[in-house]
Amino acid sequence: MADSERGVVRLWAERLWGDLKASTDANLLGLLRFLGLLYGPIDTSLPIDQAFRKALRNRLPARAGWREAFGGVTYLLFIVLVATGVLLSFYYRPSAEEAYQSVQHIVSGISLGWLMRDLHAWSANLIVIAVLLHMARVFFGGAYKPPRETNWLVGLLLLFVIFAFGATGYLLPWDQWAYWTTTQGVDVVGRLPLLGDWLGELLRGDPIVSGATLSRFFAVHVILLPWAALGLLMLHFTLLRKHGAAARARVQHGQAGAPANQGVPFFPHHLLRSMSVGVLVVAIAITAAVLRPRDVAPPADSAHPPKVLHSTWLVADVSRALFHYLGAWGFGAFLLLGLALVVLPVFDRSPDRRLRQRPLIAGLGFAFFLGFALSWAAGWRLRMTSSERELAPLTRPALAVDSARTASRAP
Amino acid sequence: MMRASRLLVIATVLLAAATRVEAQTTSQPSTAPATEPAKGTGHVGAARAWPTAGADEGNRCLVCHSAQREAASVGVHAEHGVRCVDCHGGDSTSRSLPGAHGNGFTGRLAKAEIARLCGSCHSDPNRMREYGLPTGQLAEFRTSRHGQLLFGQHDGDAPTCTDCHGTHIIYPPYDARSRVYPTSIPTTCARCHANAQRMQKYGLRTDQLEQFRTSAHGVTLFQKQDFAAPTCVACHGAHSALPPTRTSISSVCGGCHQLVAQAFNAGPHGTATRTGRLEGCLGCHGNHDTQRIADTTIAAQCDRCHGGDTRLHQVGIDLQRRMVRARSDLRSAEHAVERLAATGQRTADARFRYQSALTDYLQIAQVQHGLDLDRVEALEGRVSAGSIELDRMALTSEETRWEHKLLLLPVWFLALSAVALAGLSLRTVRRTGADEAP
Repeated sequence: MADSERGVVRLWAERLWGDLKASTDANLLGLLRFLGLLYGPIDTSLPIDQAFRKALRNRLPARAGWREAFGGVTYLLFIVLVATGVLLSFYYRPSAEEAYQSVQHIVSGISLGWLMRDLHAWSANLIVIAVLLHMARVFFGGAYKPPRETNWLVGLLLLFVIFAFGATGYLLPWDQWAYWTTTQGVDVVGRLPLLGDWLGELLRGDPIVSGATLSRFFAVHVILLPWAALGLLMLHFTLLRKHGAAARARVQHGQAGAPANQGVPFFPHHLLRSMSVGVLVVAIAITAAVLRPRDVAPPADSAHPPKVLHSTWLVADVSRALFHYLGAWGFGAFLLLGLALVVLPVFDRSPDRRLRQRPLIAGLGFAFFLGFALSWAAGWRLRMTSSERELAPLTRPALAVDSARTASRAP
Repeated sequence: MMRASRLLVIATVLLAAATRVEAQTTSQPSTAPATEPAKGTGHVGAARAWPTAGADEGNRCLVCHSAQREAASVGVHAEHGVRCVDCHGGDSTSRSLPGAHGNGFTGRLAKAEIARLCGSCHSDPNRMREYGLPTGQLAEFRTSRHGQLLFGQHDGDAPTCTDCHGTHIIYPPYDARSRVYPTSIPTTCARCHANAQRMQKYGLRTDQLEQFRTSAHGVTLFQKQDFAAPTCVACHGAHSALPPTRTSISSVCGGCHQLVAQAFNAGPHGTATRTGRLEGCLGCHGNHDTQRIADTTIAAQCDRCHGGDTRLHQVGIDLQRRMVRARSDLRSAEHAVERLAATGQRTADARFRYQSALTDYLQIAQVQHGLDLDRVEALEGRVSAGSIELDRMALTSEETRWEHKLLLLPVWFLALSAVALAGLSLRTVRRTGADEAP
């Protein structure tokens, strides 16, 4: 390129940049704050680029370290799920007739389609682990205490949204595992007292799980829940910015030997750390997707339950284990324990975040998280064997589980 | 006080009993408008007038014969208006005993007479046409061993119609309450044939039902409720019950197992059966305790007769080896189809190939009864080829998946580099003091 041409391009670029800066103001950065991509207050008196640089230098609370990364990891996995989900929806057909073949096509006919699908499935598992770790950190760190109660509530709603995402997405491949696990789950809901029948009908849209169910699950998964998640996330980040990240208990009591709000700046330290964690998480997700792909089971057959029912989502494992070992009442008790967490900030209002000061709460929390982990381990071992008797829809008394038997159709 | 209440209890009980009695005598089905009640018209064996559903007044037999009350409304004869007098004679309207037991009353009949009585309607095509029932039962029965004993030798222990079908409450064979419903037939026959005392006279064994229950046929019938399985009558005949002779056994089994019987008859064992040296199918399979012979025991079966002959012993071993291999090839073919499906490939073509292999495998089981070893070899070869082809398809698909693993190399290289760079950058930043508070 000749010098004069280079000069012209540079001039044009500078003009463009100047126009952009002049036409926006720092308030636009508020959107980035909403989306959780910036910390700290925005100085709206400055032009956008200077306000951006100033915001980047914002400092985190002291001693904020790796534990505080789980929230970000959850968010990253959510973004991965959204991105892979959008790509999948380019090819997926949400009807009972075409769903299975469209998934087959994605997995075998489209370049890197298998990666999108397996990454989506694995991220759905990893996000549950990440969100529970994040929740555990907040819980045991006492970061739900006033003035952060609303944020705790919003966080719990986000947890339910994540579970709902997984539950609705589970059905979409429309193979035997998807179909019959969903049938069992909706049957369980249908057996709740009072509202059970109505809820079951609402979820299914038909007396049995059918194309009607698929349609509404798809609509919830792809339209309803993303909006709910977006709204809740924005609220979550806003509240977080408003009250600031909760300092650790030792810092709070001046025991860390550093001023309370003199942590590392967001840029470059925290950003580099977050980025490292993020990169590793995505690498782990891709590794899991490659080494343990989500198989395509036989196509859904509403007349014949499969002989072996694999679970590909850990919440399904957990639910199944709870039912198997504790029955419906045990499952309900565990749910209540989880719901009790909602009202937690009402009872635990003291500003002291040390665990020692709140042993009962700590005990309850421990029970919940440990219970979850144990149920997952137990559910992992359970391989479901079905007979028509056990999986007869709608009128079964309880989920029964037999020991694994391999299917053999050869005479 | 005590006495009064006790009297009250007794009075209530009596009243209830009386009400019940009244209710039962008045609960007659009236399926036709009340007509003249039918009267018994004569001796046993003569054709009777058409039975008509009588009015309540017409069936006073039940006033005394209360044990038969249920039979007046339950069962196929009651439903079609056959009443007491139609078989026993007498006058059902009479209020006096001599009157009721007059008019050609036959009372309790002898066994041979029972058969003729039943036959008086059930062998008459004109009567049975309306119900679509066959009319050859009595004629067949006369030819059966039971009939020969009853009519020929006047043996009082031989069965007659009522011994199998019931006396007063009879259900049609398709009714699950019937004594001749498929799953009930074996126990009905066993009422006599499992009774050691009764069978001693004829020198018959009594363990047939016990054996049948454990047999493949018995399990299919009783546990799987599959009525394609034979009951006693399928092999022995129902009314013409006779044990099959040595030479006819294969034909009896071949009635259902047609292709197997064809192959068997064409082979050396068929020849042996025709010349009386082998009891047909029973030679290997047993009669009442018929079992499937597992692939892995074929050679042992052959050795039971041919163990002494080295060549035939080897034939048995070869046959077993081929069948076992064919089965395991079929299993791995099935597994290959599942592996293919799991990777997301379309499986219509693979399933078609599997069906071909399955058909070939099923033919081996039939063909080997004729000991056509060349054909067995050919079929086994085809099952094997099909299985190899499917395995190849599954393997190709899995190799594609394996190639996905190569992606991990660049991914981890980039990830670790990024982390390393971040770490270095962080260290530089710290060292140059860029993290001091502004």
